[in-house]
Amino acid sequence: MIKFKPTLLALLLTTASLIASAETAVIVAASNGNGTIDKATISKIFLGKTKSFPDGSQAVPIDQDDGSAVRESFNSSLLGKSSSQLKSYWSRLIFTGKGTPPKQLGTDAEIKSLVSSNPNMIGYIDSSAVDSSVKVVLKF
Amino acid sequence: MNKISILSAFAAIAALSPLTQANDLNINGFLSVGVSMLDNNDVTLDGFDNNGNFKNDTILGLQISKQVNDKTTVTGQLVSRGSDDYATESAWAYVNYAASEDLDLRLGRIRVPFFYYSDFLEVGYAYDWVRPPSEVYSIPFSSIDGADLNYRFSLGSWDTNAQLYYGRYSPSGAGVDLKNFTGLALASTSGDFTLRASYHRLEIETDGTGSFGAGNTAAVAGVSALKPLLNPTNDAAIDADIDQIAVDFALTGQELGFYGLAAGYDNGDISAIAEYTQGFADTPFFTSNTTYLVKVGKRFNDLVGHLTYTATENELDSGLEGDVQKALGLENKQNSIIAGLRYDYDTSTALKFEIQNHDEEIVNGAKGESAMLYTVAIDLVF
Repeated sequence: MIKFKPTLLALLLTTASLIASAETAVIVAASNGNGTIDKATISKIFLGKTKSFPDGSQAVPIDQDDGSAVRESFNSSLLGKSSSQLKSYWSRLIFTGKGTPPKQLGTDAEIKSLVSSNPNMIGYIDSSAVDSSVKVVLKF
Repeated sequence: MNKISILSAFAAIAALSPLTQANDLNINGFLSVGVSMLDNNDVTLDGFDNNGNFKNDTILGLQISKQVNDKTTVTGQLVSRGSDDYATESAWAYVNYAASEDLDLRLGRIRVPFFYYSDFLEVGYAYDWVRPPSEVYSIPFSSIDGADLNYRFSLGSWDTNAQLYYGRYSPSGAGVDLKNFTGLALASTSGDFTLRASYHRLEIETDGTGSFGAGNTAAVAGVSALKPLLNPTNDAAIDADIDQIAVDFALTGQELGFYGLAAGYDNGDISAIAEYTQGFADTPFFTSNTTYLVKVGKRFNDLVGHLTYTATENELDSGLEGDVQKALGLENKQNSIIAGLRYDYDTSTALKFEIQNHDEEIVNGAKGESAMLYTVAIDLVF
């Protein structure tokens, strides 16, 4: 793959710019005390492996509705799991009483509004929807 | 209520207390329904025969859990199994105390972490098979009364759960009491990989009655009755040895157990799992049992195709003890090849088709036969 054909190169660039325009931002309330949070910690919060932010305060993850494009991108890029893997992961935890999946509480606008008013919540939205009511802890 | 007002109600609740969501009463359930047919009645496999069986794979489970306070959660899971005439059993009934974020203490009825799939053994939706292969998953009960500790820690990219349990299992009517049940299970995951190791041991006591106790009493008598066969010359020393073996056959006070190893991989597209167990026992009543399974799966969108080879072998001891075991028909060697398809028909329903070729190479000391088992099943979680 060293010598690209011009058309293939153009295609790759187009794809790359499409991906770049659909950036996802992981957000907490503007009043949340944490700065940036790394991918591994966010993944642990959303998979129920930890219940706290790095500063020790309680973390309540909230999901976008099933089927939203941002959720698909969050699942595959950040959690590194397909939706079928996640379903099976949670059914295994639910029926041992070890955990319940994050609540699904809407799409960009609803998630932003909930997170902005609650310093314990952490969610993710399309980065174009970010405003000053929330703080971005990771962008990908 | 329209969507906006539901959401603003949520927002209002959430703003009042971040804990509100965690305090919900959670109700979940699972249901599996299966139809199976075996093509050879001379083969014993999971209770099936050559008439359609609509019952053995049918399992209904209902689970409730509630966070009572910051540290305490209660969980109950009622399971009703067709194979048990729909008698309802509590598979889980425990109170969990979260001593810290990394340490949980549970007290009550718990599922024993015998195998890789034990925690969610009957939640068919959570795995590809209709049922875990009985060559490896051969223990006829899955829960005990006791307590356990779950401790979680991370080393590098590996997240590990260490579970230590202690308890007792004394089913009514079987004439057997399994005491000082102790075990440790370690499960580590890193990305798509899982590794698991476990150890289990118990002390057994039987009063010689019931389905299990009577069997042991008969076996003890059976050992003494072998004297004319194994010692035709009436050698006094050999007679004494056989008497000792009869004493050893009596289970009360004896220790037994097994250890298991498993490795799994699942990248969402390709999956594989291997599991191995090795039994041990003080008494020659139980022959040395080795089991394993190897399964590979490949996902095509909503379809998963999978293939499994699994085997179990009960080996005889050496010497006179082995001769006694052989004469009592305690030797077994069986295997299965399972080919299946799972279709994820929506987010909480899976439809499964399976064909299993089961081969009884040696069954109760004699050469056995083979049979095909055909199954169609549907698994739901709700």
